[in-house]
Amino acid sequence: MRQPSKGKALMKRRSALALAVVLALAGCNANPDVTPDAGGSTGGTAKGGTLTILNAASDINFDPAKSQNLAITTLGLVLRRLTTWEVQPGKAAQVVPDLATDTGKTTDGGKTWTFTLKDGLKYADGAPITAGDVKYGIERSFAPELSGGLGYHKSLLVGGAEYKGPYSGADLASIETPDAKTLVFHLKTAYGDWPWIVSMPAFAPVPKAKDDPKKYSQNPVSSGPYQVESYQQGVSVKLSRNPNWDAATDQVRTAGPDNVVFQLGQDTTVQSQRLIADSGDDRSAFGAGFVAPAQLAQIEQNASAKQRLVTSDAGALSYLALNTQRGPLKDVKVRQAIQYAVDKRAYQVASGGAIGGELASTLITPGIAGRVDYNLYPADPSGDVAKAKQLLTEAGQTSLNLTLLSENDQPSLAKSQAIQQGLQRVGITVTIKPVDEEAWTAEVTGDKGDYDLTVSSWQPDFPSANGNIQPLFASTEIGGGGYNIARYSQPEVDTLIAQATAETDPTKAQALWAQADKRILQDAPIVPLTYTKNSFLHGSKVQNFFVPSFPAYPNYLKVSLKQG
Amino acid sequence: MRLLRLVSGRLFSMIVTLLVISLITYAVFVLLPSDPAQLSCGRPCTPERLADARAFMGYDQPWAQQYVAFLGGIVTGRTFGTGAAAVHCAAPCFGYSFQLNESVTHLILERIPVTFSIAVGAAVLWLIIGVGTGVVSAVRRGTAIDRAAMTFSTIGVSAPSYLVGLLGILLFGFTLNMVPVNGYVPLTEDPVGWLWHLVLPWCVLALISAAVYARLTRGQMLDVLGEDYIRTARAKGLRERRVVGRHALRNVLIPVVTVFGLDLGSLLGGAVITERVFSMPGLGALLLDAVGNVDLPLIIGVTLFSAFLIILANFVVDLLYGVLDPRVAP
Repeated sequence: MRQPSKGKALMKRRSALALAVVLALAGCNANPDVTPDAGGSTGGTAKGGTLTILNAASDINFDPAKSQNLAITTLGLVLRRLTTWEVQPGKAAQVVPDLATDTGKTTDGGKTWTFTLKDGLKYADGAPITAGDVKYGIERSFAPELSGGLGYHKSLLVGGAEYKGPYSGADLASIETPDAKTLVFHLKTAYGDWPWIVSMPAFAPVPKAKDDPKKYSQNPVSSGPYQVESYQQGVSVKLSRNPNWDAATDQVRTAGPDNVVFQLGQDTTVQSQRLIADSGDDRSAFGAGFVAPAQLAQIEQNASAKQRLVTSDAGALSYLALNTQRGPLKDVKVRQAIQYAVDKRAYQVASGGAIGGELASTLITPGIAGRVDYNLYPADPSGDVAKAKQLLTEAGQTSLNLTLLSENDQPSLAKSQAIQQGLQRVGITVTIKPVDEEAWTAEVTGDKGDYDLTVSSWQPDFPSANGNIQPLFASTEIGGGGYNIARYSQPEVDTLIAQATAETDPTKAQALWAQADKRILQDAPIVPLTYTKNSFLHGSKVQNFFVPSFPAYPNYLKVSLKQG
Repeated sequence: MRLLRLVSGRLFSMIVTLLVISLITYAVFVLLPSDPAQLSCGRPCTPERLADARAFMGYDQPWAQQYVAFLGGIVTGRTFGTGAAAVHCAAPCFGYSFQLNESVTHLILERIPVTFSIAVGAAVLWLIIGVGTGVVSAVRRGTAIDRAAMTFSTIGVSAPSYLVGLLGILLFGFTLNMVPVNGYVPLTEDPVGWLWHLVLPWCVLALISAAVYARLTRGQMLDVLGEDYIRTARAKGLRERRVVGRHALRNVLIPVVTVFGLDLGSLLGGAVITERVFSMPGLGALLLDAVGNVDLPLIIGVTLFSAFLIILANFVVDLLYGVLDPRVAP
């Protein structure tokens, strides 16, 4: 998924003056009642208490068909899927069984996958979870009325392209349920990452008798450790324990707090101030959104808050896309020259400095299994101007005029300007074309592609190199809503992607993805800039709060509260 | 009879104005490059899935047809999709938010108590403080009181509400711990909690708006106090309090009421920044989220509702003129 720009929403809505004054006041010890009882990010898995999650969004959609939630965040507390993610700090994410006994078996090289449900699984109301419920949950994700979720499975399952969901009376024959505990999936082509695909929200069970498509987003039938107790749109969502969840069947959820309350529509600046102050119930709270660079500076000055700031390892890839179908950028030499011309250090500074991200050189991001670290275009972090000029001369291009399509918020413009100034050094004149976020998305994912350069960032939807490479570089993803925004088309790479996608042996698949990574960068369709880092702030009673490199979000499933 | 003619005439022009506003709003958003169906299509979004989503949401029709369907929905309601998952939006249907799975009418009605609580309380405060300060300033023209009041009002006029809100939260919420920093408690659930949570937003809005009213009232009052009839009143030996309070203030209030009506109308449509800063789920916060999420039906619905409130406020102000000044009575 495309990563949101840090502090973008914040900067859109407030003046720099306002922030400066507020920060100055806060810096002058505006919170004398702060209790320096800083809780670490680690600790036991104590039970009890009410965890508060401060959320800027005004709505949480619990309908698994419509959700794009990560397996380790909000929906993971309420809804289990066939498989899920085991993420630990410093380790690559692993796919592990959730409702299923294992991560799937295939006997025909990845075209047919079989899963068996664990024994004793129950919904919150005590009813048993059946294979038919999982099938029904997947089927309803095909309904146009319930579109909006992660839908990788829709084009993979046989007959999926034509299927319109169960409300028209039809079922999807490519999902078989020979008995109440077995599911068999028939895919159009071999797909080695299917065990990851079945960790997505649409693979949560939905009992047909309880399905009210209009209300399910606020009132889902719980299969996880919590159930929705109350839902006030724009205000809060309260989760309480699911009495029928059995910890023995669940290897990833620790279910520490008795209750989890999402406070919705919270202003990000006020969120940060509350967490910095760390008083009352806010000691058992954390912010769901990134801490903006302006607040990071303030937190650095506050010893208690600094101790409670958790920054992820380097994660999502931030990159400069070069439109490979436009004028001089069709020439690989010009694109390679840009690899050396870009001032990555200046870009990093514009992104918030070292706490905002580390310099990048590969397509597969840290935290993804099988990643090989390499640098095809070694240079000083500020670039290699001489080498860039040499390549441009070889390409017969000594003076270039390029258009950089940028989002018009201040953080995005600052990053674009860092690119502009870097390229200026080698005689490339960059004109920044600022547009609103929606216009940017429409332009880069649309069919026309009227731009030379653009800056974007990407975090895979699932922890496989597949998610790093295929959406950004497969030729099928050019235009039509796809995110191949470099408009890169290379048959050899498409073949590699097809081979890696079909490979069911994870080790072999990872080697193929690593090969694709290098092959693509030889053609230099993008310039890897930074692996971004996300920072989150939590209260002093919050324990087991960590943010891995993938996904660079807190693992809600393991958070607990210090007792006593 | 004359009043009836006036009311019916104004109602007709209100409807025409709202129709024009709805048409313009619709046209503006249709012309924008963003595609609501694309945003609701999920990921990855194939052209076939996009076409399905567009058809379900009704965006596969020409925009003029969509607009007519929208207007029809206000009268008869609308149904999106077919079968068990079809979504029915009951009349008056001002659109359906596919992102929030709720009719726009319902969402607006749900948020009204919050915004009205903020707006009415703040308006009462700013009117009392603003007009009071303006009158005192005018009567004590040139004194230290006048200068202090005008300095204060200059600061109030210049300060952005976001800044004042955050400073208020830092000072009265975090530092002095006097009031809650954010959130809303319904009046019906806990009247004291309702009041307690609203004190700071009211004060922030009142501080900013009272400054405008203080300056306006002072200017008008100075003009009126120089009028012949005021001199006559004083010559007749009326006490100054009566001259100012009864004779001068009544005339001063006419322009004040005009501005007040428009301000209150706008605020009832959503105190966007204040609601966001204080995390209050009112119409302003709803609109802000709708814009952020490009929730087209919701943007159109809230815009129309806000426009309706401003037009209504204008209408009420026109009627009030007659009460304040019999010369312009209908």
